[in-house]
Amino acid sequence: MSSLISPVRVESTGGLPSWLRRIGGTVTGWPAFYRAQYASNPRRVILLTLMVIGIFVYPIAYQAVPSSITRALPIPSSTVVVFMLIFGIMAIGLNIVIGFAGLLDLGYVAFYAIGAYTAAFLASPHFGGLSIVLFSDLPAGFPGIHLPFSVILILAAAVAATFGALLGAPTLRLRGDYLAIVTLGFGEIVPIFFKNLVNVNFSFLFIRLENANLTGGPLGINPIDAPSFFGIKFGVISGWAPVYLGLGLVIIAIVIARNLERSRMGRAWMAIREDEIAAEMMGVNTVRTKLLAFALGAAFAGCAGALQASYQGATTSDFFMFSTSILVVIMIILGGIGNIWGVLLGAVVVQYVDKTLLSWIGNRLSDVGAATGLEQLGRINPSTFSFLLLGITLVAMMRFRPEGFLPSRQRAAELHTAPPGEALGSSALFEEEGVIEELDPTEPGGEEDPEILEAPDETPGDQEPPP
Amino acid sequence: MDDQFLQTIIIGLSNGLIYALVALGYTLVYGILQLINFAHGDVFMLGSMIALTLLTAFGVVPGLPLLNTVFLIVVVLLITMAITAVLNVSIERIAYRPLRNAPKLAPLISAIGMSFILQNVGLLWKGPANLGYPDVIPSTNILTSVFGFNTDLEFTFKQFFVAIITIPLLLVLMWFVGSTRQGKAMRATAQDPDTAGLMGIDVNRTIAITFVIAGALAGAAGLVQILYNNTTVWNLGFRFGLNAFTSAVLGGIGNLQGAVLGGIVLGLINAFSDRYLSAQWTNAIVFGVLIAVLVFRPTGLLGQQVADRA
Amino acid sequence: MTAGVTYAPGLTPLTGQVPDDQILVRSRKVTKRFGGLVAVNAVDFDIPRGSIVSLIGPNGAGKTTFFNMITGAYVPTSGEISFDGHDIVTTKGSKVRSLKPHQVTALGIGRTFQNIRLFGTMSALDNVLVGQHVHLRSRWWDAVIRSPRNHAEEEASIERGHELLRFVGLDERPHAWARNLPYGDQRRLEIARALATSPKLLLLDEPTAGMNASETRDLTDFIRRLRSELGLTVLLIEHDMRVVMGISDRVTVLDYGEVLAEGSPDEVRANPRVIEAYLGRGAAEGA
Repeated sequence: MSSLISPVRVESTGGLPSWLRRIGGTVTGWPAFYRAQYASNPRRVILLTLMVIGIFVYPIAYQAVPSSITRALPIPSSTVVVFMLIFGIMAIGLNIVIGFAGLLDLGYVAFYAIGAYTAAFLASPHFGGLSIVLFSDLPAGFPGIHLPFSVILILAAAVAATFGALLGAPTLRLRGDYLAIVTLGFGEIVPIFFKNLVNVNFSFLFIRLENANLTGGPLGINPIDAPSFFGIKFGVISGWAPVYLGLGLVIIAIVIARNLERSRMGRAWMAIREDEIAAEMMGVNTVRTKLLAFALGAAFAGCAGALQASYQGATTSDFFMFSTSILVVIMIILGGIGNIWGVLLGAVVVQYVDKTLLSWIGNRLSDVGAATGLEQLGRINPSTFSFLLLGITLVAMMRFRPEGFLPSRQRAAELHTAPPGEALGSSALFEEEGVIEELDPTEPGGEEDPEILEAPDETPGDQEPPP
Repeated sequence: MDDQFLQTIIIGLSNGLIYALVALGYTLVYGILQLINFAHGDVFMLGSMIALTLLTAFGVVPGLPLLNTVFLIVVVLLITMAITAVLNVSIERIAYRPLRNAPKLAPLISAIGMSFILQNVGLLWKGPANLGYPDVIPSTNILTSVFGFNTDLEFTFKQFFVAIITIPLLLVLMWFVGSTRQGKAMRATAQDPDTAGLMGIDVNRTIAITFVIAGALAGAAGLVQILYNNTTVWNLGFRFGLNAFTSAVLGGIGNLQGAVLGGIVLGLINAFSDRYLSAQWTNAIVFGVLIAVLVFRPTGLLGQQVADRA
Repeated sequence: MTAGVTYAPGLTPLTGQVPDDQILVRSRKVTKRFGGLVAVNAVDFDIPRGSIVSLIGPNGAGKTTFFNMITGAYVPTSGEISFDGHDIVTTKGSKVRSLKPHQVTALGIGRTFQNIRLFGTMSALDNVLVGQHVHLRSRWWDAVIRSPRNHAEEEASIERGHELLRFVGLDERPHAWARNLPYGDQRRLEIARALATSPKLLLLDEPTAGMNASETRDLTDFIRRLRSELGLTVLLIEHDMRVVMGISDRVTVLDYGEVLAEGSPDEVRANPRVIEAYLGRGAAEGA
């Protein structure tokens, strides 16, 4: 076979030392990288730098300012910031499913719940009959299972990914809207299981359960061990430390997602989104590739769930509702489909509005109401409008800007005629790195997927057999 | 067969007919637009709230003379159906028509958004708690009081009422879609909207009429819900919508008879699950049925009837 | 003759039998029914190694359907297809089993499409990289940790991608989005992408559609190069008779899903049944 035709083959490549050297090179090459980025797009670099500094400095500044001021301003508290990061991880994960691979998952909350309960099982006194204490400052013999947080993170990701694969295997071949409904169903069923497995009588081989309270039911499981590294605790009572833990995890999530995006898999996902049949014909195992996107996305949610449960120290099934799945979808739609930074921004904004802004507005209204004597104002609770806001956002976004505010260039081109950022002007600040390329302004929206209920059975270009 | 079993069947059939009414709305819209109208269950919920408000306003309470009650219920029924019909067609105008040419998932997401909006409207209008309404139609057992049977089995006036309202509506709808010119237009548009347009059918108007009909049916179902189940709440639409949509899929999406059959089957499933398992698991079971149908027999029991929109 | 490429004996002109190990694709009694319509009817069809074969016939004759069955996109109603010693389609009783398209691609069949199906919002280079997907060994975890294997493979495959683009004459704008390329370039990109899958057999579905005379000549030369420089076997669906007659070692004519005639271009051209199918009975009688 001529060398042009034969596939690339790489021999042993130096293994660990060369890998370490390359990673080291990336790290030491940072100043030069930074300078080069600055030269090519100074505005963007300055903005991002300010953002990064701001994130690190915010907790310190917040604590330095007297609480009377912080309460008066609509600025997020430590809990809200942590939840911004938790949802940020989820948004990045769901972006892999929806943004990269183009699969609409409406039941993402199921994997969030699975991750949370994994943490609950493995870091609490729940299984009181056992006592497994590893790397914890709890005394040996303490009831329940208590694994270190890093182990829990990995296990939560693995368990969630497994369920993602289980769910995806029979369902990913369904058409887009049917897949959405099925995932929605899964997103409803899982919390129901967690809520109801309180009285389990089960007998199989050597496994015997009598009246077992597996999941704590509606009351849930608590207390859950807070994450702990080098003696520092990162629970909800630990103030601002958890923000840095969350930031670390978000950074890892970004790196993983980015590496996936620009890899063989990332291209395969993009190809499937563009034209699934052509991708299959070019050798992409579409079933397996879609399944991988689904499972990986689930893993992110599992990690987020484990973080959330450990941070809060408790979990209950009431926490996991359909609206949470939709919330994450909104973060992606609002922020920008396909773009990691966009969905992160979406997560931050949506959490901010949902958790900080709305209640602040409520408080201000009651202040105004008390001051002016219009006490009806005080009774308006903006939080009860949250569904309304979510709904209007969805309808409006679909109508006017379905790709979101900072989408990846591909998704924008697929969904819209104009290049992204026209309306905002400066969104070029946040565009993905890579060569800037002109968009074709005359192309209409992307082609629709042909109906695929089973294995590809049709290739266009074939004449439709006459009826 | 023991009495409990038969009783469960009766309960299942009654609720099943309500599901069938709502399921028809889903299946009609899906047939013509290939859209899962997420918001439809919430139109039903608002219909029930509207009916509740009207019944209260007109003073329909237990103890009124029979003729008055019947007359007022009919009036409330017609007004409710009119309002929900208008509501439904407005939703189509605002949230779905502008997205007619968008990728398929955009209207679906828009529908979810619409569902949230309607739920919040219900929440703001009537508050978070369950609302009740007294038994205007008596719960007395027809079998014992009218026929004088000596039995534990219950077939109440309420259940009779459900049948009296829903069955004629179903029949009228079947006749309309099957035999009238407008019905033919609907079927043609469902088969192939482009060709239908070329044949002189006003596609936009046909779609609007479909939404009007679906909305009216949801409103009727809402009234029945109030008078039969005596309750409503802002998130009723989600559970009901799920059941109704599953009914439509089970029977064969796009297929009218299928929606009715599916509704009845789902009513039975719900009743049996509530009685013999536990109400907590019923939702999971319904979702399970939905997933199973979509994975193993996506065309449903009676077969789909949708256009090939590839 | 190019060194290192083996031609089947007696290939030019092709008459009679070809030894088994020189048959790359063997199809026996391949049938495809769509409901009541028989699109392909019990077709026996062989492609010898290293040959350029054209599949021609009037519209609706079943040519693209046949392509689709070789590549696994359609499952035949019955019949057997084997490629390079591997079974693609087997029939046991009434059970027909076919490989999935990505599996067929892995075996070594690449194709282009009648209506171009590039990945429009991906760059030309990325399109070619997707073509390499099936033979790359790097897995998703390699990508996540940026393992040495991943790094080396990415570099090597990008370089091969550029080489492939150069081979089809497209390396000036490797990062241009596929859908922004002019029509002729898109056709070439599709071929480059098909070559990226490391095929032994290349299926070209009406490659000269929409081309003028000089473009057609260029493409014809190019197809010859595919065989002489890359050692590929090529199966063409074509309507342009100049291409068919000029380049094919062998021509198979399909009509109404059945093989009407088969042989060298000259033999087929003179076949009265072929003439009748294309031009009508009167023309055949006049031949």
